Amino acid sequence: MTQQPPPEVRALTEDDIYRTSSQFRVWSFSPERLAELRAKTHQIAVERIERQRTQGTNGAIQGQEDGRQDGEKPEYLTEEEELRLVQRYCDMIRATNDHLNWPANVKATAIQYLRRFYLSNSPLTYPPKEIYKTALYLANKAESNGWAVSAYAHRISAKPEEILACEYKVMQALRFTLDVRQPNRGLKGVMMELDNLVEGRPDTQLKAEVESLAPPEDGAKTSWVPGSSVRERVQLAYSAARGVLDSPALLTDAYFLYTPSQIVFAALQIADPPLAEWYLSKKVPAASPIRPKVLVTVRSCAEMLSSFSADSVLTKDERAALETKLERCRDPSTRDLVKSHLAKQRGEGANDEAKAAKKKLQREQSLKEGEDLFGPSIGSANGTK
Amino acid sequence: MEAKSPAYGVPPEPPLKRQKVLSATTSASNTPFDSSTPALSPAPVADLGEQMDLSERSKYIKGKKIGAGQYADVFEATLVSDRTQLFAIKKIKIAAESADVGISYDSLREIRFLQELSHPNIIRLHAVFSTKDQNLNLVLEHLPQGDLLKLVQDVQGTRYTPADIKAWMLMMMRGVWFCHQNFVLHRDIKPNNLLIAANGEIKLADFGLARSFADPYAEMTSQVVTSWYRPPELFFRARYYGGAVDIWSCGCVFAELINRAVFLMGIPPDNELNMVRQICEKVGTPTEDNWPGVTKLRSYVTPEEVIPERSRGSWLDQFKTIGEEGVDLLIAMMQLDPNKRLTAEGVLKHRYFTSAPRPSPLAELPKKGGGVESMGEELKRRGGEIPGEDSKVGGRGDRVARKIDFGNM
Repeated sequence: MTQQPPPEVRALTEDDIYRTSSQFRVWSFSPERLAELRAKTHQIAVERIERQRTQGTNGAIQGQEDGRQDGEKPEYLTEEEELRLVQRYCDMIRATNDHLNWPANVKATAIQYLRRFYLSNSPLTYPPKEIYKTALYLANKAESNGWAVSAYAHRISAKPEEILACEYKVMQALRFTLDVRQPNRGLKGVMMELDNLVEGRPDTQLKAEVESLAPPEDGAKTSWVPGSSVRERVQLAYSAARGVLDSPALLTDAYFLYTPSQIVFAALQIADPPLAEWYLSKKVPAASPIRPKVLVTVRSCAEMLSSFSADSVLTKDERAALETKLERCRDPSTRDLVKSHLAKQRGEGANDEAKAAKKKLQREQSLKEGEDLFGPSIGSANGTK
Repeated sequence: MEAKSPAYGVPPEPPLKRQKVLSATTSASNTPFDSSTPALSPAPVADLGEQMDLSERSKYIKGKKIGAGQYADVFEATLVSDRTQLFAIKKIKIAAESADVGISYDSLREIRFLQELSHPNIIRLHAVFSTKDQNLNLVLEHLPQGDLLKLVQDVQGTRYTPADIKAWMLMMMRGVWFCHQNFVLHRDIKPNNLLIAANGEIKLADFGLARSFADPYAEMTSQVVTSWYRPPELFFRARYYGGAVDIWSCGCVFAELINRAVFLMGIPPDNELNMVRQICEKVGTPTEDNWPGVTKLRSYVTPEEVIPERSRGSWLDQFKTIGEEGVDLLIAMMQLDPNKRLTAEGVLKHRYFTSAPRPSPLAELPKKGGGVESMGEELKRRGGEIPGEDSKVGGRGDRVARKIDFGNM
């Protein structure tokens, strides 16, 4: 009774579904593209400050209390410094999330929010010290973690209005995409499967294969020592891989450059290479045409993750020094976000509402008269389907 | 992974064009980052986020208001570049967002999931933009034919056949299947969240209560799904659940489509206990025998008199117009034990869909489930309002309204 699908329609694969995700559509980049975007963002931020500075002699700039003379060009944070400052605040989100005992998915989502935010915004305009709390709170909501802002603010010694003031700004920078595809659940799945395997499910043949694997060489992250059980080997590989997901994967560009499953395999590869390679060969057999590509990608991801060192994260003192520097060069127009947020919510908002109503009336009138306010339509080439 | 709709080939198919759009993965709403200056830029120093927001917003012309509520206003809209293309813009009001939350959970959930789910049977989110940096505007698919509830209730004006029901069920289940395939639980499936497109297609809407599947061992809230469509495990406050909750709701919708009456309607006082009583009477009392482990759920309470699971014959009596296969499917969707309930894929593979009559083609389906005003009505609500909370926040009072409607029938 059922028909065969016509040839131009093929089955959706897991890859197809991943490609429909906003993470793939909007938030996946080549390293070059990523660098280009950041450079552009930095440049726009500096231009914006420069513009205000040159107009500042007319009194447009307020809040310069550091005694710096007008007209003197401030020393801006370099792109490298911006990146390191953002990274430091990613680490801060990690610490705060753990302090609050929130689940790992909130942490990963919040950190990606922060990283995504700073692709289109510079710390010069919005210092991460102010944004990171909002990113974490927004992730708490998007991941259904259920904390009210008052409770959250209390625990991190902040004011609720500070946290809410930049919510729209963050949403806008996130381009209203809130879903973050993460490797955490995938790793758990791998671990469950391996756990079953070493218990002899579905068969003892596979268990025997795992038992005969070469031990990991020096440098592997697992703390397993040959001689103890394979069960332990799986457990220790898992906890080592989880460490990779919790730190290097969150504090580098991994999510921008690789898919969650690539990151899972890379983390396993770092934890216990022989085990990872064996497992991968069960999923992507030697004969598979995509195998070389998969291997190259997983390896390059693993290289990136293992070259990350926790020592490279700014220390407290380095951070303080950078923030002092930032204080001197930051954009004065975004200095008081709470104030501008409230202004938008109250005064300006009401004003605009009235204006909008008036405009609407005008438009309806002119439509009645058969006029086209917007002029002739400019073709449908850039139409939305 | 086999991710194709298992009932492929059973008409009515979504037009092929749409299927291809789906796998081509392009979305008009999320053009990749474009750092070249867009056509309409407020100032050369707007940051990239602002620039892209503005360019999105300048694509649309807002038209007349088709719905107004305390939570959101809904407008008709067209493209600047093509006035014939219609959209609905749902503008979420700032004031409606509570001071202790900021942007509400519901808005965030709705935006989060609709950005990810691109399927012919799920309402399409074309774009999101902000106005005045403060209001969220959701550009949604224009669905001018109302919703399934209005159709079901219009007993005088609308007739439909078992073949029509099959077509609607098929479309609904494809949408639900796609959600589950993307690890999304809808958690509020009911006839008024199934909107009807101009061509008759059914679109699953209102993702205000949706969430992604929890990680293993992570707890979820049981305070979801409108009570008449809520499965027994949620009344018993299960902390761990899955796609089966949506299947129960779909089963309730199926039953309602067949008999044009709510299947499990709480008898006043409309509280959870009475709903459980309803389930016991109409489906059977959940016990350790038919549902191993049920007595361990936190709020497991049932009326003293144990009613045995309803017999197939009794189901057949009440729902005979849908035929034997249809009744078998209904029974399989309304299993008390969520582990025994069919999955979305299982439903789509059920022989009901491949036995006579064939589902009606789109063109022959009755439409007019309330028209465009009805869409405005549906969309202006806060996503996924939980009935019990309505009176508190002065929301839509859904159950009250519906009780009145049904009281007149």
